[in-house]
Amino acid sequence: MSKSRGYAGHILEINLSNLDSKRNELDAKFCREYLGGIGFNAKLIWDEVPAGIDALSPENVLAFSAGTMVGSPFPTASRTEASAKSPMTGLFGTSNSGMFFGTQLKNAGFDALVIKGRAEKPVYLFIEDGEISIHDAARLWGKDSWETLDILKKQFPGAEVALIGTAGENLVRFACIENGYYDAWARTGLGAVMGSKNLKAIVVRGTQGITPHNVEELLKVTSKARQLIQSSPFFKPFQSYGSMNAAMPYGNFKALNANNFSQGCLPDWKENFARPKVEELTNGHIACQSCIIACAHWVEIKEGKYQGLRMKDMEVTPTVSFGSGCGMSLEATVKAAEMGQRYGMDMVSAAGVMAMAIELFNRGLITKEDIGYEIAFGDDDVILRLMDDIAHRKGLGEVLAEGTMRAAQQFEDGKASAMHVKGLEMPMIDPRGRWSTWTLGILTNIRGGDHLRCRNPIENLRYNENKYDFQKERFGFDQKMYEALDIPEEIKSQAINLEPDTVDIAIMSRWAEDLINLFNSVGVCIRPPVEHRIGPTILAEAYTAFTGIKISPVEIIQSAERAWNLIKLFNLREGEQPEDSQFPRRFYEEAVGGKILDEIQVQGVLQQYYIARGWDVLTGKPGEEKLMELGLSNMG
Amino acid sequence: MNKHLVIDSEKCTGCGLCELACAINKTGQCQPHLARISIWREETRGMFIPMTCQHCENAPCADACLMNVISKNPATGLTVRRLEGCIGCRACQVACPFEACSYDYMQEVVVNCDHCGGNPECVKYCPSGALQYKSTAQALEVHRNLEGARRCGMAGLVRGER
Repeated sequence: MSKSRGYAGHILEINLSNLDSKRNELDAKFCREYLGGIGFNAKLIWDEVPAGIDALSPENVLAFSAGTMVGSPFPTASRTEASAKSPMTGLFGTSNSGMFFGTQLKNAGFDALVIKGRAEKPVYLFIEDGEISIHDAARLWGKDSWETLDILKKQFPGAEVALIGTAGENLVRFACIENGYYDAWARTGLGAVMGSKNLKAIVVRGTQGITPHNVEELLKVTSKARQLIQSSPFFKPFQSYGSMNAAMPYGNFKALNANNFSQGCLPDWKENFARPKVEELTNGHIACQSCIIACAHWVEIKEGKYQGLRMKDMEVTPTVSFGSGCGMSLEATVKAAEMGQRYGMDMVSAAGVMAMAIELFNRGLITKEDIGYEIAFGDDDVILRLMDDIAHRKGLGEVLAEGTMRAAQQFEDGKASAMHVKGLEMPMIDPRGRWSTWTLGILTNIRGGDHLRCRNPIENLRYNENKYDFQKERFGFDQKMYEALDIPEEIKSQAINLEPDTVDIAIMSRWAEDLINLFNSVGVCIRPPVEHRIGPTILAEAYTAFTGIKISPVEIIQSAERAWNLIKLFNLREGEQPEDSQFPRRFYEEAVGGKILDEIQVQGVLQQYYIARGWDVLTGKPGEEKLMELGLSNMG
Repeated sequence: MNKHLVIDSEKCTGCGLCELACAINKTGQCQPHLARISIWREETRGMFIPMTCQHCENAPCADACLMNVISKNPATGLTVRRLEGCIGCRACQVACPFEACSYDYMQEVVVNCDHCGGNPECVKYCPSGALQYKSTAQALEVHRNLEGARRCGMAGLVRGER
């Protein structure tokens, strides 16, 4: 059993170039300052990745860090963060995934894995109870991720596997790292980094156990957190219907990505993706480690073309990206998700780049000769065929595999159809249809066009008002809800104004980002019921009970803020420019559902966000004072 | 036996909280392998079946035990072990049809579920109602595994290909 409490106590560093490995002991100061998960990764990537390198070169470093609370019974503590320099954005690439990988990693004796160099030929890693072996992966290379898993799971029963599929091997820039059969570290192209290292899979299994510092306290805080989450009004809907909950109101707001952001919502969306239709395909709930919500669904297609297809799916992101973004049918989105998992591709990016290709085809910039067949929105078969071409880099797939930003440069005026922020494809929400903390978060996100790092913990989907000059959104809850929020009084009173009943988007964005960064550090899920009820107070209590390292709520949220600022510094070092924080031109020039973004006002909110962060109001560079406060002053 | 730990695998989400709760309660460790209940995960079928000691009337583990340390408690009906006599040979594990004997590698003995003296921790932690602690009459009402059998056919109850 390990000596350290809560943490497994070691970071494993593997250099694939010389097949060397090193175990570095964790020290308490590093733990306090960066907590775990994305915090660890921020520091490891900052320290280990040389400035200005190519993301697909051997110098890039791929880091996996389990969240601190992972392995404990704390509700939803299952998340592991993977990070590297991103081949999509050239900035900090990072992605978070749940299930059981983190638990096994910690039980195998490591809180984090750092993978450097490039293997001469395909290999996979096997890590078990502190021992590491590197195996030849020649027999696995070329197989898709499900075939590979069938082999590895049989060979190593009980193990968890992080692996790449066909897309990762072919260095498709938005390839993802698969986490078992149905989950992934998807965004920012980490699978291409893993592929560039000739690393097919990481197999982890462990029995070492994690010793909590104070079992009694840990169980007490666990049951308190559980009651809090269960009492959230978002809990029941999420438990029964999962993340698809948000799809309907966003459809009503005309705030979905429909046919490459050309419409707010498809005309037949409501009918084809209605709740009863989705429920007909789904049964059974599936949970990650220690989760009390179980938002994932088991999907079975019982009739039609895709009959017999069964997998964990019907998550809002792939369903909307393919179903609305490319106009596919509900059943075909499941098939697309299956292909996404087998090939190991980020489904938001894959759907985004294909939607762009279809639009370019409609505009006449791509012709039938370029592809070999005609493509159109809503044509399931050709979209799936195009997806296959991308994974294998065949024909036009060779161009599209470079991602939206790079592919658009190949066509004259392709940029007008390229819906991305900082090189990462826009997620499935359209900021024109609903402007909120969530949509400002797409602009301020440290990983580019993505919606998962900033969400108002009390987002009210009953209201969608456009009368606040982009500064505010409606709060719409009562005093009791306000008081129950675990936000420090000072920030709460600035962010939420009960009298006119509004939420200040800039200030709430900063808070939401720090809160989500804290969740990603300690390994807790960001699902709305959790984000709504769990905050720094209870997490500090849980952290102290589990690890024995005393930390206050103020310090713990500051650790999350430190990681966020360090990542911003990394991005600036890698050449991020102030003007990169910009939506695609379409949002300012073409209205959807009668709504359009006002560029000057959006930039104004962005500046207010910079002020709330203590960053330079024009350049978005972390200020000297803020860096001093966070103990990062020598790094800026 | 008047109280039963009833498993309704139809409701199980595979979260593993029962395993963690059991392991922490019995050993102070967060390590599912040390638990006396374990979830049999049929990932590619979307099926999760919690397995624990069923306290069989004619317990095969007791017959298999080389050291005669396993017996039935006539008062409670539970299958109990005299752990100081256990040599950790794991013959009982082989005999158990439910894979419900777990090897506690900290103490180097084989253990089984003891219903936590009438207040099972796993039931307290189960978020989905898949685990319930019920009287005989109540337990007879639970039609367990119906959904599981429907979902993967009887063949699904035997480990196999996807």
